[in-house]
Amino acid sequence: MLFESEAQSAMDTAVARGATYADVRFGVVRDEHLEVRNGVVNGFSDSESRGFSVRALVDGAWGFASSASLDKREVDRIAALAVEVARASAKVKDKGIEVLPAGKQVGTFKTPFEIDPNDVSVNERLTFLLDVEAEVRAAKGVTVGRAWMDAWRTTKEFASTEGSRISQELLQCGSACEALAVGSGDVQDRLFPGTCGLYQTGGYEIVKKAGLPANARRTGEEAVALLTAEQCPSGTMDVILSGDQVSLQIHESIGHALELDRVLGWEANFSGTSFATLDKLGTFKYGSPIVNVVCDMTCPLAFATHGFDDEGTPAKSVYLIKDGILVGYMAGRDTAMAANVDLCGCVRAEYWGRLPMIRIGNVNLQPGTTPLAELFDGVKNGVYMESNRSWSIDDKRLNFQFGCQLGYEIKNGKKGKMLKNPTYAGMTPKFWGSCDAIGDKDAWVAWGTPNCGKGEPMQTARSCQGASPSRFRNVDVGVVSYAR
Amino acid sequence: MLADLAADRAAADAVLDIALEESKADETEIVLSSQELALSRITHNVIHENLVERDRNLNVRAVVGNRVGVASTNALDRDGIRIAVARAIEIARVSPVDKEFPGLPSAGAATQPMDWAYDAPTAALTADERAAAVAAIVRVMAGHKLTAAGYVSTGNSSIAIANSKGVRQFFRSTDSAINIKAMGEDSSGYAEGYSRRFADLDAAALGEKAAKRAIAGRSPGSVDPGEYTVILEPPAFREYLVYLSWTGFGAMPFSEGASFMTGHIGDRIIGNNVTIADDFAHPAGAGMPFDFEGVPRQPVPLIDQGIARGVVYDSYYAAKMKHANTGHALPAPNTVGPLPLNIVVKPGAKSADELVRETKRGLLVCRTWYIRLVDKLQTIITGMTRDGFFLIEDGEVVRGLRNMRFNESIIGSLGRCELAKELVRSESHVIPACKIDGFRFSSGTTF
Repeated sequence: MLFESEAQSAMDTAVARGATYADVRFGVVRDEHLEVRNGVVNGFSDSESRGFSVRALVDGAWGFASSASLDKREVDRIAALAVEVARASAKVKDKGIEVLPAGKQVGTFKTPFEIDPNDVSVNERLTFLLDVEAEVRAAKGVTVGRAWMDAWRTTKEFASTEGSRISQELLQCGSACEALAVGSGDVQDRLFPGTCGLYQTGGYEIVKKAGLPANARRTGEEAVALLTAEQCPSGTMDVILSGDQVSLQIHESIGHALELDRVLGWEANFSGTSFATLDKLGTFKYGSPIVNVVCDMTCPLAFATHGFDDEGTPAKSVYLIKDGILVGYMAGRDTAMAANVDLCGCVRAEYWGRLPMIRIGNVNLQPGTTPLAELFDGVKNGVYMESNRSWSIDDKRLNFQFGCQLGYEIKNGKKGKMLKNPTYAGMTPKFWGSCDAIGDKDAWVAWGTPNCGKGEPMQTARSCQGASPSRFRNVDVGVVSYAR
Repeated sequence: MLADLAADRAAADAVLDIALEESKADETEIVLSSQELALSRITHNVIHENLVERDRNLNVRAVVGNRVGVASTNALDRDGIRIAVARAIEIARVSPVDKEFPGLPSAGAATQPMDWAYDAPTAALTADERAAAVAAIVRVMAGHKLTAAGYVSTGNSSIAIANSKGVRQFFRSTDSAINIKAMGEDSSGYAEGYSRRFADLDAAALGEKAAKRAIAGRSPGSVDPGEYTVILEPPAFREYLVYLSWTGFGAMPFSEGASFMTGHIGDRIIGNNVTIADDFAHPAGAGMPFDFEGVPRQPVPLIDQGIARGVVYDSYYAAKMKHANTGHALPAPNTVGPLPLNIVVKPGAKSADELVRETKRGLLVCRTWYIRLVDKLQTIITGMTRDGFFLIEDGEVVRGLRNMRFNESIIGSLGRCELAKELVRSESHVIPACKIDGFRFSSGTTF
């Protein structure tokens, strides 16, 4: 480990001051963001930060402190501060926190990749984005074209008083293009691919396979066409959602609902709690029998894949929903015992300086057996919706309303005219219970979400919800506001 | 070093000097920020998370011709600074020319000092003192057989900006907040307090306020979806209103025709009883006296007595649109354009209690959740009520209600509203409660 002596020093200080457990995380984070807008560079940044944090358990209460300064005096000061903060926590506690032993974990992990982003010249990357963005604006009527790419490189080290020593190098990349069209008294936008782009673990090959050049013109054309498209009707009808919209649906109505800290009330004031309470584990019908969802922190390419989480738990896959029944939660070492569920390694911090917490990992809806073309069969009257633009759900993850960028009428199994402002709403278990077809593995994509917010102070995390396009019956479509 | 940066202008200036000295770009801007955040988080009447986070950031914007590059680091030794400056210049050199880039701003008018924004006792507050505030809240909850979730926090930060054209700024501030959600078997209530000075916050009183709401909401009933007169308390009105900032009060969407303000400057767009401004210097607010380019902020009337007056600008959009710079730049690289961060709404004449008393039948909304934009130009948003949702009949709050989803046009609804006279801070904004007629609820939920 690069920071072995500093880590040992911090743990020695924490233990000497009374910690029964302590862990230390060091990190170096390098973020690159390139963005072009209407032919000029709108954002091109390269940021690097490094630092460390100490988490200490004292008298059954947690304390946490972090700093960007790595000199020995600061390392010891922060370790002592973490203990002091934990002692203050212990003044307002009940029975105290118990931590599931993780055992001694010693290992390394490195994200597999084909092309190191650093091996692609800045000129090549910029030219690529400028060409894509020009193609977006080649569609007549586009007001604003945008194209961007991101690369995150994280080196992190973990050490604990249980003897764990873990080193990891993670690489995540993503890209997208977008068109904004203004006219006919309306504003419409389209983004490709998916809701926020294609974001996965890996190198520059993730950018290359996103297909931006081939789809940029269509993205612009769709934005313009939406300005004069017919308004999506209101009513109860069948809905087919694109894979990326299913991904968002999973994120909001399954992912967050099955974070065990939320279930236990730890997020009650901000992100909220969950309707999926502990008494439902093992029996609750979350969805139809074809709905199978795992949190798989080992899934190749998936955006949250790593070797170990930020409290030293090795990555693995656990079922959350099996044959439609709630069977698991995403848990941490200090919450898993409450539900007697397995850990999968999903406790993560935004970066070295933030407190690790349970985050949506790779929460994947397993592919079904329906070929994409057959999803439309049997839909007499419905709407196909693609790519999210508005998402809202209550603080127990039950009542949701989502809006999409693009819709198409479905009549007698055939895709018809374009519809704008498509929205649908529902209650989580009823909605997933209405899922009667899931696209097969050929249509399955590990869709990444780069901007999931949770916690106080809020942290941003990168998650994945792998999904295929799927069909839902008798869904409430349309928003009353438009009918006024 | 970190503590010095937050408290000491000379220490910050020394870092800025090194960074400027290292740069061979045509123009260079350095933004040095430093922050320490301490937060004790509560659930079920215990502290379950408790932290102190310290970090800093040096942001370098290098200009070579009309090409711009940005790089940042938190390594503040000379090597770290040199690397960040070199990266920014390298990025600028390979970036295409942006003919509309006007250059970095020059030193301009003097900046308001705002020394009152920093409170030494708040900066020095300990974990034990935060725990004492939590304990006061927990005592209140225990007395009512409720549990609390939320947090007690203090922050201490500084920002120093210099550029090669003579801009030189420094500002330090403190902040503190208490958020409490009181929870019972089938109800919850919310209270919040924000201040530069932690001593201004009364943890027990906020606990009582939240508890009172949770108790009043027990055994909630329900009402059918439809149109109701609502009274949005400040936390709810703030979440509602802040979407106007994102969608239309900035020069970028305004210039692109994507703002509800575009083409309507001088037009009446909402009720003549509503005046909305951005005012960094409001004594109850959380503003800073200059923007992230070091340009002194200006108070900006956005909507005056219902009439659209203007939007906010940074140096780029001021030059592009031939308008005065109002000092609302965000940190570079800024992909969303300038934004107002300190909304102040002019209060009305009646108290919030009077607005309730004058309501024949309506709904009281204490807090909202997960508001998202459904339609940009019509400013239609959707969201949920949470932590205090009540039925008002004949001027009295008569019972708690199960939460509901709303779909409403912000601009449309501000044409049929009445504002309360009490102004309070909610996050970084200073606003009253707001009564709105014909507010649309589209569905309910089970709690």
